[in-house]
Amino acid sequence: MSESRELLALRSVSKSYGQVPVLHGVDLSIRDGEFLAVLGPSGSGKTTVLRLIGGLESVSSGAIYLDGRDISAVPINRRPFNTVFQDYALFPHMSVAANVGYGLSVRGRPKAEIGKKVAEALDLVQLGAFANRQPAQLSGGQRQRVALARALICEPRLVLLDEPLAALDLMLRRQMQEFLKSIQREIRTTFLFVTHDQEEAIALGDRICVMEGGYIRQIGTPHTLYYRPNCPFVARFFGDNNLVPGTLGAVDGDLRAIDTALGRLVCSTGGDTALMQAPEGTAAFAAFRPEALRPAVEDDVNRFSGTLSEISFHGAATIAHVATTPGDVRLRLRLASQVEGIALGEGETLALGFSPAQSHLVLA
Amino acid sequence: MTASLRPASLFLALVTALVGIVLYCPLLVPILSSFFTVTHGQADWSSPTFAAYVALAQNDDILSALRATMIVGFSTVVLSVSIGTLLALYHNGRGAGAALLQFLVFLPFLMPPIITGLALLIFFREVEFPRSLVTVVIGHTVFVLAIVYRTVLTRLRSLSKTLVEASLDLGASRWQTFWRVILPNIAGAMAGGAVLAFALSFDETMITILVTGTTSTLPVRLWAMMRLGFSPDINALVALVLMFTILLCILAARLLMPAKDRAAH
Amino acid sequence: MRPSLTPRGLLLAGLAFALPVVLIVVPLAIFVVYSFFSVDHGTMVYTPTLANYGRFFTDPVFIPVLVTTCILCVSVAVICVVVGYPVAYFLASLRGRWRYTLLLLMLVPLLMSYVIKIYAIRSILGQNGFLNAALMTLGIIDKPSSLFVFNLNAVLLALTLLLIPFAILPIFLSLERIPGNLLQASYDLGATGTQTFLRVTLPLSLPGVASAASFVFVLAIGDFLTPQMVGGTSSFTFSRIIYSQFGAAFNWPFGAALSIVLAIVVILAILVGERFGQQEAAR
Repeated sequence: MSESRELLALRSVSKSYGQVPVLHGVDLSIRDGEFLAVLGPSGSGKTTVLRLIGGLESVSSGAIYLDGRDISAVPINRRPFNTVFQDYALFPHMSVAANVGYGLSVRGRPKAEIGKKVAEALDLVQLGAFANRQPAQLSGGQRQRVALARALICEPRLVLLDEPLAALDLMLRRQMQEFLKSIQREIRTTFLFVTHDQEEAIALGDRICVMEGGYIRQIGTPHTLYYRPNCPFVARFFGDNNLVPGTLGAVDGDLRAIDTALGRLVCSTGGDTALMQAPEGTAAFAAFRPEALRPAVEDDVNRFSGTLSEISFHGAATIAHVATTPGDVRLRLRLASQVEGIALGEGETLALGFSPAQSHLVLA
Repeated sequence: MTASLRPASLFLALVTALVGIVLYCPLLVPILSSFFTVTHGQADWSSPTFAAYVALAQNDDILSALRATMIVGFSTVVLSVSIGTLLALYHNGRGAGAALLQFLVFLPFLMPPIITGLALLIFFREVEFPRSLVTVVIGHTVFVLAIVYRTVLTRLRSLSKTLVEASLDLGASRWQTFWRVILPNIAGAMAGGAVLAFALSFDETMITILVTGTTSTLPVRLWAMMRLGFSPDINALVALVLMFTILLCILAARLLMPAKDRAAH
Repeated sequence: MRPSLTPRGLLLAGLAFALPVVLIVVPLAIFVVYSFFSVDHGTMVYTPTLANYGRFFTDPVFIPVLVTTCILCVSVAVICVVVGYPVAYFLASLRGRWRYTLLLLMLVPLLMSYVIKIYAIRSILGQNGFLNAALMTLGIIDKPSSLFVFNLNAVLLALTLLLIPFAILPIFLSLERIPGNLLQASYDLGATGTQTFLRVTLPLSLPGVASAASFVFVLAIGDFLTPQMVGGTSSFTFSRIIYSQFGAAFNWPFGAALSIVLAIVVILAILVGERFGQQEAAR
């Protein structure tokens, strides 16, 4: 992935509505052929990023480059990008075929060519038999695929998807995720996908860009974001996590000590220079996933005792709440479920631990 | 809320039926009178006749008034639908002062017709514009503009904003977007507004009385005749006008209803 | 996004406002200015004066007529709401097609010719009308009653008959907007049908009642034809007096001044209706 060239770049792009800033000098590079998920809670500015790239809004300052050329002033209908809208925005007065062919039709392409390309696009999204239906006669998932076919038919350099799965129910959503991913692999076009659902971002994105409050917090592969979050926000936003506040201690190779209410813990820095070079006493968090926490083994360096409460069954996993001694810190513990039930009971106190390799430090 | 056959519901149904009868009474009287000879409130039910309709076909005075009404109605429709639609588009496109514009357009509709009519009367006199069917058309257009404006604006607002964005995003120009996306979607509302505008213009009496010249529309002719009492052919005309109005109502309902169904999706 | 004040935006705004300004604002402005002119022996005097307003307040005729007219129109509004509410409630309690079909049936008379309706009402109410004939046939009275012939009672009845549909519609719409689960919640909490109506349905439908009443009032007070047609020579209403200033009396400036008074009353009625409606809705 890393060798592929840059398709689109945002350079210190800011956006304000009146006096209200929604994006603060964002830098983002999109690589040719990648599936980039932009993830963030509502109000994080993620949709604004999409609208700025699509040309639905104009930047307040900064610039957007396509193949190194500034396209900030290019109007929406001249940008080689197409959007799949959250509400699909299918034209209610047109048939499915007319909707899909719209982009070619407004460019004045010959009818025969439009017909052929519409048929191809509908086949691609497996809706070949629906060409003459009206949008109102389609299910949510079908509308979604029509919107995708309509966006793909002009062979855009970049497809922008604005939470296209948000209106679908869970089952359909899973199916559509796989479908989107397979189509993107098939046509090898760059996709930029905006979502507030971190599971969706992990399932779809080659890379994920996490946004909060108009800033980009971290960009990286799902694996990196999950195991090497660079800030408390990403660490918390990205799946269940235990964050224990403390102050940094001595460096030991790739590991570094942190003094917390649980006592002195040793966690991985992942080789991150900022973490390695931060002076001792700097405020930070020890972060470890609930599945990294487990009953202590013989030579655990990170070791404390905890009392279990509220054990709940979640299918594949069973989750328990833990109150630690010392410190009375609230943690979550995730165990693989067993047919006969897990061996631990509520109210039980036992020694717990996690391995430094399974943990990570995050600067506060 | 469900209607069960409790005494309360029965009472409500009865009141509704009574009100319905009372509302339709004034409409039935002339229709019946057009087929039967009525003297001193007593109808002669024994001998239905079309004599009144024959007489109507020969009443040039009424027929020319009817023609004037039609001309005024269609001119009003053309003017109010085109102006109303343009203003609604301006409003929906976040044009400057949209709220003020809406207020101005609504003024003649909210103010009593006597005020709208008198203001126009004085205006026409001051700019020395002779009163004629043209002034009637202007008066009607000013009056019904609010209806068309509102109908079209409501439909425009119910259209998802992303439809326009999607069209532009797919490479269409603003002009193409208007013709191929916006217009087909507001055509129904424009037609419904047109029918309402025609119905209102067809029946407008108070403003018309104030701004009309020598030739006038049917309601004003009827009003003038009413003081002397109606001849039977007027009853025939009334019956025909009522039937025509009912047809217009059905048409307007048809044109405006599908919008509701569509909005439900 | 704020409205753009670019040259193109200003040009568009100019075009959009041109017609409403010429045909609505200018006539109304001239109208207001006219109310400060006067007439001397049939000629207009274009010197500003407050005499017209002075005459309205000092002449013993106009204020009593205005008060009578207001009482008349408030009565019409009250009767329309009282009669219209049960109808609207019944319509709103129906399901499916019937609901809108019946509603439409109730509204169709609105689109029927206004003059013809007045004419028909007159022939029903008149000395030799259907009403008297029916009452006599039924033996309730033995000679034609003149209770509803060419007087304010007739005007009241005629206006009510004409305007009831205007009361039904807003009340129906406000009743229709009440979510069914609110009523279910009320029943669920142990309220009876009457309690539910008085404590849930009625308060929530008051905005509709308020706009219905102000609607009917405004339409009734501006009507100068109905009083003339069914009210005979004696029952003067305010609008009729205004109209006469532009006909027989030929005093346009004074008519304009009286119209301004009427407009103020109408605006007050609309504001009261709106205010009341919004307050209730906010609760």
